[in-house]
Amino acid sequence: MKEKKKDDGEMAEELEKNSYRFWIWSIASMIFRFCIILFPENINLSSRPELSTPLTSLCRLAEGYWLKQASMSPYSGSMYHGSPLLLSLLGPLTVHGIEGQWNHHLCSLVFVVSDILSAVLLRATGQQLEKAYRLNLRRLGLLKASRDRGILPCGDIAALVYLWNPFTILSCVGLSTSPIENLAVIVSLYGAVTRRVPLAAFGLIMATHLSLYPATLVIPLIFLLGYGLDAPPRKLFLQTRDREGEPGQDKLTRTTQLPFLWKTVLHFVFWVLVWSIYVLVLCSLSLKQYGGLEEMFKRTYGFILNIEDLSPNIGVFWYFFAEAFDFSRNYFLIVFQIYMFLSILLPLARRLKHRPCFIAFVYLAFSSILKSYPSVGDAALYLSLWALFVNELTDMKHSFFIFCGYIGFSLLSPVMHNLWIWRGTGNANFYYANAMGYACFQFMFVEESVSAMLNHDQALKKATAEMTKN
Amino acid sequence: MKILILVMLLCSSFAFSSGDTTIHTNNWAVLVCTSRFWFNYRHMANTLSLYRTVKRLGIPDERIILMLADDMACNARNEYPAQVFNNENHKLNLYGDNVEVDYRGYEVTVENFLRVLTGRHENAVPRSKRLLSDEGSHILLYMTGHGGDEFLKFQDAEELQSHDLADAVKQMKEKRRFKELMIMVDTCQAATLFNQLQSPGVLAIGSSLKGENSYSHHLDSDIGVSVVDRFTYYTLAFFERLNIYDNASLNSLFRSYDPRQLMSTAYYRTDLYQRHLVEVPVTNFFGSVMETIHTDSAYEAFSSRISDSKINSDMPFNQPSEQDLKEELQNANIPSDKLKTEKEKCPYTQMRTDFNEKLEKLENVDTVVNLSIAVMVVVVIVSSSLLR
Repeated sequence: MKEKKKDDGEMAEELEKNSYRFWIWSIASMIFRFCIILFPENINLSSRPELSTPLTSLCRLAEGYWLKQASMSPYSGSMYHGSPLLLSLLGPLTVHGIEGQWNHHLCSLVFVVSDILSAVLLRATGQQLEKAYRLNLRRLGLLKASRDRGILPCGDIAALVYLWNPFTILSCVGLSTSPIENLAVIVSLYGAVTRRVPLAAFGLIMATHLSLYPATLVIPLIFLLGYGLDAPPRKLFLQTRDREGEPGQDKLTRTTQLPFLWKTVLHFVFWVLVWSIYVLVLCSLSLKQYGGLEEMFKRTYGFILNIEDLSPNIGVFWYFFAEAFDFSRNYFLIVFQIYMFLSILLPLARRLKHRPCFIAFVYLAFSSILKSYPSVGDAALYLSLWALFVNELTDMKHSFFIFCGYIGFSLLSPVMHNLWIWRGTGNANFYYANAMGYACFQFMFVEESVSAMLNHDQALKKATAEMTKN
Repeated sequence: MKILILVMLLCSSFAFSSGDTTIHTNNWAVLVCTSRFWFNYRHMANTLSLYRTVKRLGIPDERIILMLADDMACNARNEYPAQVFNNENHKLNLYGDNVEVDYRGYEVTVENFLRVLTGRHENAVPRSKRLLSDEGSHILLYMTGHGGDEFLKFQDAEELQSHDLADAVKQMKEKRRFKELMIMVDTCQAATLFNQLQSPGVLAIGSSLKGENSYSHHLDSDIGVSVVDRFTYYTLAFFERLNIYDNASLNSLFRSYDPRQLMSTAYYRTDLYQRHLVEVPVTNFFGSVMETIHTDSAYEAFSSRISDSKINSDMPFNQPSEQDLKEELQNANIPSDKLKTEKEKCPYTQMRTDFNEKLEKLENVDTVVNLSIAVMVVVVIVSSSLLR
């Protein structure tokens, strides 16, 4: 008991030190962002196609706001394709400047705040996940008290990865609205992990409203609320229960996984409906004179699904649809958008249903590869969610190769763009090859993480089997 | 059977009145010089003089189609390079800084001319080479060169016949490419060129009758060739006295041609033209003087004010239609009231209509939306802290 108390005391100290370090690093990242925002004027990050897509560009939002102020529909002219609520929130900020400085500084401030919020929420999510991991391992009998320190604080790591990821910093400073989209996704995950159902529903609705693809998070969120947090497969717990064989010890071998809680899930569905109706009413209010909800759906979701804008980005669709014949365009659109649904969502959900957070990560990673208009802001999100699973994914193979690939392709991308557009010595194939390589490495990354997770489960199974033998 | 007759009457009345119901909105000029070679200097000078006049009186370059062989100004035999004169006193250089030739050299062919008139171009033909007139246009078509009985010689290689021209004009009328068309021809036996015309709204004048020649005015001994034709010379003499604000009528222009001075009879044909020549100002064709109505507001006032001003002068039968419109509006108001009283019975729809009315009265939708977003965030935080 004394040992346990000493361990607890040490752990508390360590936790305090950890949180102290975390706050130092996060404030340092904030200062770093402020430096980049306030000082240089000529970086012109907002014109980079990797950072600002037709959906996330702040310049387009400013244009949409100006159009609205001029009593025209904000969607006229195919400039702005985002949510009207975002327009009311961020629009006024793009107009008011600070003492003659460039108008978008206030907006950058909003993005820094949302980044910090996302980091804090990620940290809390990670802490919950870490607790569950530790508890489960203890219940499986694989963890003794002294080995607790082998478990990394995945919350802190994920939050710091999010804050210091160059992709996040670039998308925060580069005037794109992806920090807000990332915040919405992280809010929904946080709500589901801490079992705050209205918050999870709110996050899901806002994320889907801002960009269509987080709608796939419905599945992991329902699993999170129904089954509970990530845990090893239930079979392992049955094995240990067999091993113990004493009725009194049944409670200890219980997994943190719950039997599917229909009540919570129905509660979640109710809140999803409430928030979606609220958001739709608000949108129809603000777009009353300009065509209403139909216009909004056509211009936001329709724009996303039809891939109307074929300007280059780090995705793989623009080049293809620039060449596709008109009569086969619809066919290819359907194939590409449905590919994700059919081939990825359901099989993963079935295979990894005991790890809903991980499913969320994989869905987000795939949606950032197969999105209509991807940007590095999406990569920032899933890379930090990956860091939530450092404990399980320690044995990821080829991680160095993938890491180098990421860095290489991200650095080559502006070079190829310059060669193509500014110097004219390259052509679109240079840039598209880079995009294809980047997509390839993203696929590899996701594939390696999923196989590492499955291997981890296998290793746990082996370890519990050994323990049963012993 | 009766219905058929009614329909036919309607159609004919439409066809009859179609020329009257459109408003004169713009002026176009198609100036064609059909000769090339140095000894036909005077034809190019004719066309360029008319180009200058038409531009001076207000038609912009974008509404002038100028077809010239354009081989005079830079001809090796031209003692005054890059200069074209229409008078031996060399006072006026017609080939100044801003001559925009749309069809030059070998592009001046019968085919291109007919394409310009009918508007049937290939896709690649630029806008500057197209006659983009509409049903409110007045077009001036001036042709000069060598002609004969029912034909006009184009560039020494082909000819345009009078029935070709009549066919093209008929197509133009069908496609409503002009409101009124004035054809002015300065060639030998010019009046025969518009013998075959039948389309209404066309006024034509030629410099000579069948069997007569049109003569040049004088020879410039410096340049070595005749520099202008008589008909065009006297036309220009009439126009040089005018400026853009003058109200001279076509009648005065036509009366100014003296057969003894022209050494031919300038014959004009008005049987296809409904209006009296005394009432038509020359700037209707030779210039571009438009009636401008100044409004301060954006676009709504346009149609009503035009109809108000035009009702009295040109279109007397539009007045009852406006009154009809007013009656229709009044009638339209009545059924909506009836509908309203019916809807009041159902409380749900009444609530909705009240809500919609309130929304329409709300001027500041933006603040409402912002407030609602703030409310939403507060509710989220409150509910998530309460419900775990």
